[in-house]
Amino acid sequence: METEFTLNGHAEVVDAPDHELLIDTLRARMRLTGTKRSCDVEICGACTVLRDGQAISACTTLTADVDGADVVTVEGLADGDELHPVQQAFVDHSAAQCGFCTPGMVMSVVALCLEYPDADEERIKEYLSSTLCRCTGYVKIIEAAQQALEQM
Amino acid sequence: MGPNEAGQRRQRKDIIDKVTGRARYTSDLEVPGMAFARLVRSKVAHGAIRNIDTSAALALPGVVCVVTAKDFEHLDMYYGESVLDQPFLSVDRVRYIGEPFAGVVAETQEIADRAAELVRLEVEELPILENAAAAMHAETLIHPERPADPELANVCSRSVFEYGDVDRALAEAVYVHEATYTFPAVYHYAMEPHAYLAEWTSAGLDMWAGTQQPHKVRADLARIFGVPHNQVRVRVPYVGGGYGSKGQAKYEPVTAAMALVAQRPVRLVNSINESFHTVIRHAAVVTMRTGIGADGRIIARDSQVVYDTGAYADKGPRVARKGAYRSAGPYSIPNSRAVGIAVYSNRVPAGAFRGFSTPQVVWAGESAVDEIARHLKMSPLEYRKRFLTERGEPFLGDDAPMDADLPQGLQLAADAIGWDQPRPPGRGRGVGSGVKDGGGGAARVEAEVHLHRDGSVEVVASTIELGQGPQTAYAQIAADGLRARFEDVRVRAVDTWGQRFDPGTNASRSTISVGSAVYDAACQVYAQVCDAAEQVMGTSQDLRLDGPDVVAGGQRKPFVEVLAEVRRLQPDWLGSVSAIGVQDTTKGDGPLGYSSSFYEVGHSAVEVEVDPETGVLTLVKCASVADVGFAINPEGCEGQDEGSTVMGLGHTLYEELEFNGPELINPSLVDYRVPRAEDLPHDFHTILLENRDGPGPFGSKGAGEGGTLGIAPAVANALEDATGVRIRDLPLTPERVWRALRAHEEAQQLNIAEDRS
Repeated sequence: METEFTLNGHAEVVDAPDHELLIDTLRARMRLTGTKRSCDVEICGACTVLRDGQAISACTTLTADVDGADVVTVEGLADGDELHPVQQAFVDHSAAQCGFCTPGMVMSVVALCLEYPDADEERIKEYLSSTLCRCTGYVKIIEAAQQALEQM
Repeated sequence: MGPNEAGQRRQRKDIIDKVTGRARYTSDLEVPGMAFARLVRSKVAHGAIRNIDTSAALALPGVVCVVTAKDFEHLDMYYGESVLDQPFLSVDRVRYIGEPFAGVVAETQEIADRAAELVRLEVEELPILENAAAAMHAETLIHPERPADPELANVCSRSVFEYGDVDRALAEAVYVHEATYTFPAVYHYAMEPHAYLAEWTSAGLDMWAGTQQPHKVRADLARIFGVPHNQVRVRVPYVGGGYGSKGQAKYEPVTAAMALVAQRPVRLVNSINESFHTVIRHAAVVTMRTGIGADGRIIARDSQVVYDTGAYADKGPRVARKGAYRSAGPYSIPNSRAVGIAVYSNRVPAGAFRGFSTPQVVWAGESAVDEIARHLKMSPLEYRKRFLTERGEPFLGDDAPMDADLPQGLQLAADAIGWDQPRPPGRGRGVGSGVKDGGGGAARVEAEVHLHRDGSVEVVASTIELGQGPQTAYAQIAADGLRARFEDVRVRAVDTWGQRFDPGTNASRSTISVGSAVYDAACQVYAQVCDAAEQVMGTSQDLRLDGPDVVAGGQRKPFVEVLAEVRRLQPDWLGSVSAIGVQDTTKGDGPLGYSSSFYEVGHSAVEVEVDPETGVLTLVKCASVADVGFAINPEGCEGQDEGSTVMGLGHTLYEELEFNGPELINPSLVDYRVPRAEDLPHDFHTILLENRDGPGPFGSKGAGEGGTLGIAPAVANALEDATGVRIRDLPLTPERVWRALRAHEEAQQLNIAEDRS
């Protein structure tokens, strides 16, 4: 079936099987490999993208379910070489190591900033608990989130 | 001249790629004509293979080929770190649930996945040895071809280290403490599952792999497929986490085998469930007897460590050997006997995992020392500081002298949680220290530095960027050797074609080993530039490189012009000034067959609060001291230590692979609980100790594993401090803590009742 949606600001029409998952549409069909596949069960958050400004897991979302929606992936954040404030905050705090969780983590922090612009540290920790990182111990990611919240 | 660039906080070289989603991992790669693979895995724990029926899978449209061991009878299918006992697809037998016995290649991933479900395995079931405890006393042998152990069955390896006279010292001891500690099997959860892409061309095998040991993998592939090293190319893009799980060969051989039959490029990307079934950390049972002399000193330790290595050896023999050895540390103990046994079982193979055998024995040793100090009515902190191995003292009998100030580091950790401050009611404090000998420095490695004619610098060094930051640290090291700008230096990704040999990105060895070679190369290039400047500019005084220019003796001249004049060539016929740096450390003759090149040290101190109603244990304060010698990239070192401490919190509080018999029952992030942001201690400090006493550039040491060592015993020690309850099994889940508190309470009530009667 055909799904029409906006992807990183561009109108897209995808003709995909009904059961196709958004993560496969993005990675295999659109070749946007920034969205990462890890747990496959909506726990790790590596595939987090925004649907109408809200964080969702692409691994458990049917492509059909973004019909008419505005979808943003990590590739859609920067404006040319100018990083999004959340990306810049991750750069400033060295908030990535292996980097595999980073796109999902960045998208989660973008969603956090939209949803809870006044988030305190406890709120940040709670919100980011749906996005796992195995390298950093989260300290620098939380610092980056705090910087992003101040700047946005 | 001291470092100028090293020691500074610098933007990670890889971070723009990583925050923008542009960083490419093996699981992202596609090449023209590529087909997709899925391994077919056994649902039987132990069985003799009668037949593998691939016909239904082959009949599915879009399937390219289905392979089994029968397709590779002409090859030596076995690989392994020290024991070649693991075939890349099952031959004759399956030995664990999840073992790959066939591979499917198809036009799409979806077809490969569907076809994999159609492959039928027929086996004659064999007795199941569900864990090491069962296997040690079984009649059935998992690897009947392996040499028998004189005492126990299914022994993969046995290592014994002994010095002094343990039996006599234990007999003379005024107090002997004996206890058994258990450490669960845990999973690395590198977030990128194992991923590979292989293609055979007329030039040989071209492989992309998410590996920590590309040269080791090259050698394995060359041996298995009977081709020379120069026909195997292993390229490593960014790797989504390793922690040991991507060491030695994993599925590189089977991916290459599938590509050989398919005659096409083949990509294999595990699911996370499959990576749970690829390699795990060894569950361990540690039994320790510790003898105490009249002055409180530890005069003897007798320990036995049994590591469950699962169905195949992987790195098990080395894990067991090093774990046994390290079980006597980090105290100065004059008499020691340590036995390390790796035992086969019908479980997922266990191998390297950050800390490499040490978290298991430090869990035991640092719990035991705390129990001993309490028995002696001494402060656990003061007791440790008194008897920790001193700087300059030979380690564990006759290994290289201790290069760190252990009491200083431990005190720093204790101070950071306010050890001397009054304890709030209901809270307890604990410490734990771990030392892991660094053997990985014993190697001859080389690195290249190229100063191109435009002033840009290229570093070629075979260290994998796993996130630990070599691309940044090596750029800092090279910038210092060359007196160049950090921003002008780039470090290349690893490719075994044309790049220099390195044994592997593991054991916290890269900075001291490859990093030293990078510095050597950079200094050599600097000397060449100075020589050229002397000839062309008449000076090399305070020479430095400023982008495209050479600056010396108050003059500035484009490097390309200096080079053109020296070489008497036109500028666009110039390339670069290059050098090969070498770090050559012979292995020495320490007890492990080499002398430790440095000691990786981690100290943990925690304050915990326990909810007696629920058993929930909360970390109020946590401090970790990483003795890094010198922090080349301070933010990177902090990040490594924060990450390793939180990873250690995983096996301390949450993580355990659970088995129903031989079957892993929680191979999913739904059921396997790793630390989350909300689990962070409220007050969490990482402290870098920099005494410039390491063998690496500017006195640096290896780092990144120390945080995993002392955290578990520190928490258990704090739990006893808070509640009087000692738990010797991990993880310290609410249920386990709650049951222990109840048992303790009942025992106390029983005592009161007995006193009254």
